[in-house]
Amino acid sequence: MASIMPADGSAQKKITITASLFMGLAHIVHLKDYAKGVFFALTEVLFLAFSPFIVHKLVELVTLGSPQPDLPIKQRGNSIFMLIDGILLLAVIAIFIVTYVLSVRSAQSSYAEYCRKKSFRSFKESANGVFGSAFPVLGLAPSFLMILIFVLVPLLFSASVAFTNYSAPSNIPPNNTVDWVGFENFTTLLGGETSWSAGFARVASWTLIWAFAATITCYFGGLLVAVLLKESKIRFAPAFRIIFILPYAVPAVVSMLVWKNLLNGTFGTVNRTLMALGLIDEVIPWLGHPALAQFTVVMVNLWAGFGYFMLLTMGTMTAVSQDLFEAARIDGANKFQVLRRITLPLVLYQTMPLIIMSFTHNINNFGAIFFLTGGNPTVADSTTTSAGGTDILVTWIYKLTITLLKYNYASVIAVMIFIVLAPFAIFNFSRTKAYKEGEV
Amino acid sequence: MNHKKSSGVINSFVVYIIFGIISFFVLYPLVYVVSSAFSPGNSIASVSIMPFGDGFTAKHFVHLFTETQYGKWFMNTLIIAVCTSLSTIMIASLGAYVFSRFRFVFKKSMLMSLLILQIFPSFVGMVAIYVILLRIGGLDTLWGLVLVYVAGNIPYNTWLVKNYMDTVSRSLDEAARIDGAGHFRIYSTIIMPVARPIITFLGITSFTAPWMDYIFPKMVLRSVEKQTLALGLFSFVTDKKNDFTTFAAGSLIVAIPFIAFFIITQKAMITSFGGAAVKE
Repeated sequence: MASIMPADGSAQKKITITASLFMGLAHIVHLKDYAKGVFFALTEVLFLAFSPFIVHKLVELVTLGSPQPDLPIKQRGNSIFMLIDGILLLAVIAIFIVTYVLSVRSAQSSYAEYCRKKSFRSFKESANGVFGSAFPVLGLAPSFLMILIFVLVPLLFSASVAFTNYSAPSNIPPNNTVDWVGFENFTTLLGGETSWSAGFARVASWTLIWAFAATITCYFGGLLVAVLLKESKIRFAPAFRIIFILPYAVPAVVSMLVWKNLLNGTFGTVNRTLMALGLIDEVIPWLGHPALAQFTVVMVNLWAGFGYFMLLTMGTMTAVSQDLFEAARIDGANKFQVLRRITLPLVLYQTMPLIIMSFTHNINNFGAIFFLTGGNPTVADSTTTSAGGTDILVTWIYKLTITLLKYNYASVIAVMIFIVLAPFAIFNFSRTKAYKEGEV
Repeated sequence: MNHKKSSGVINSFVVYIIFGIISFFVLYPLVYVVSSAFSPGNSIASVSIMPFGDGFTAKHFVHLFTETQYGKWFMNTLIIAVCTSLSTIMIASLGAYVFSRFRFVFKKSMLMSLLILQIFPSFVGMVAIYVILLRIGGLDTLWGLVLVYVAGNIPYNTWLVKNYMDTVSRSLDEAARIDGAGHFRIYSTIIMPVARPIITFLGITSFTAPWMDYIFPKMVLRSVEKQTLALGLFSFVTDKKNDFTTFAAGSLIVAIPFIAFFIITQKAMITSFGGAAVKE
């Protein structure tokens, strides 16, 4: 055994090769770092012990099982289970590879340390090293496992389903198998079948219009009220503020269902009241006519959402430094000029990340649409696509999954949402202080 | 500031009119819910267009607790909300502490992935979550639902708490380390108390979310006695039956604590919102 290592760095290559041959080998043989070496070696032994099982699961991931019409349904292989198990295993393999790379790097850095200090780490130091990293590892373990199983694997599953034919009526396990189909679903939705691609284009553009309109109306509604409350100095300002917070405080499922009933075309209170007052002769289909329903959901959302931006902009205005106002006043600016040239630009700048967050939130605002209209009213392509006039992409995903069992199309839409939204998240991330200072 | 009393930017008479109109629209549905909850009728069609126009009865409240599972739904939701809130606080703050105070490989990419993961609404992976719960026996159980919620909460909240902890001075930890405190001691007795504002925020947001969620309870909880309030309330006003007054009574019981809480904390919220925005 090479008990005396050259301390001049010349054994670097040897260490790298030994470390790459088997995890932990270099730690044990060359570096006398037994605690770490045994840990790494056990990881690899465990992995190798399970390798036949892993290979079997990976084969299943590729084939997704073959039809077994002669077997009773309960004994047939379930393609969906195979898909999920396969993805979970891919994650495990990825973790293993990362650990492998880390073990090689750790051997290299231990050797560099040896070259500096001319002595090996004592067992105590080595054990301390392992023990010291126990806290961060244990601290992250719960988050890591939960995210892996309930966030990452489901998302990867969803993304994979976009490339399969997992849909009713003929590809629902366990009765039938599911197969990989490549980009077929994407081509169908993006231009293959007229009703589907027209439906997709319609829902996607309405989603963007909705998210834009919902965010802008709530933001400027809230800002207007905040400015009025702050600048006008009326006597009952606190009382009005409490009233204006109320919609934000009521759970959305409650307020949206209430509005749904109030705005009901035939027996809703709003129409009955307007008729009793003699303002209208025929009922107004608030939620029954596509364009009017779209307008109504934006308005009801304004009702529910302006309170949040009122609080937000009030807070930001209060936090703006008083020195700025003082300086502007000394320069002879009147109140309106201060408001237009200083307060509003500053508030807008400060709240920009929250506006973007609100935009992405509205793209996925399931509750505002689902409880109020359920995506209705129906339009030309609704019979095929199940998407109504006010359905946004997420409510459509829900319908595709729950009602139509078209998991493949639902997944394609989910992938699209992700592609559209990721840049916004990265933009917000790049604005954070930690990122700018490069210390993340 | 107010050296010329009448020179406010906007005439206060106009402001009163604007506020009056807004208040009317804001209060209209809310007053209507209160009046319907005490109205003798059943469906929305039978309720008078004048609030409190057709008498006063408490029978819907009695009905809720005697003939429906309302009390059970309320307890279920409360249990789910408390468990979700506590677990989220524990797991996210521990992860945030590690991210804030330790250096390790792939830290930047892990943080970046957390941020990207939170963009996806968690129900996109609904089918997979259903299958996973099925395999670990978590379907139709409250803990299954809590697991789903907590996992969904972790990415964004870890990120949020980590950013807050970064602003807490490291000299505090160092002083404690010199005194011989271990990582867990520093985390639980020094960092957590200092981070109380963000932890409170986290606790509240993860407590309130389950009261309004519909999709996951609908998928996970099958039996009637295991359902949550959102499912229960929704079931009163489906397309098939319209029990609007019962729904209104049930909604009132949930909404009142929420409203009371918001009114009490509104000042604090304005400050924290302002602080959050300015601090980025």
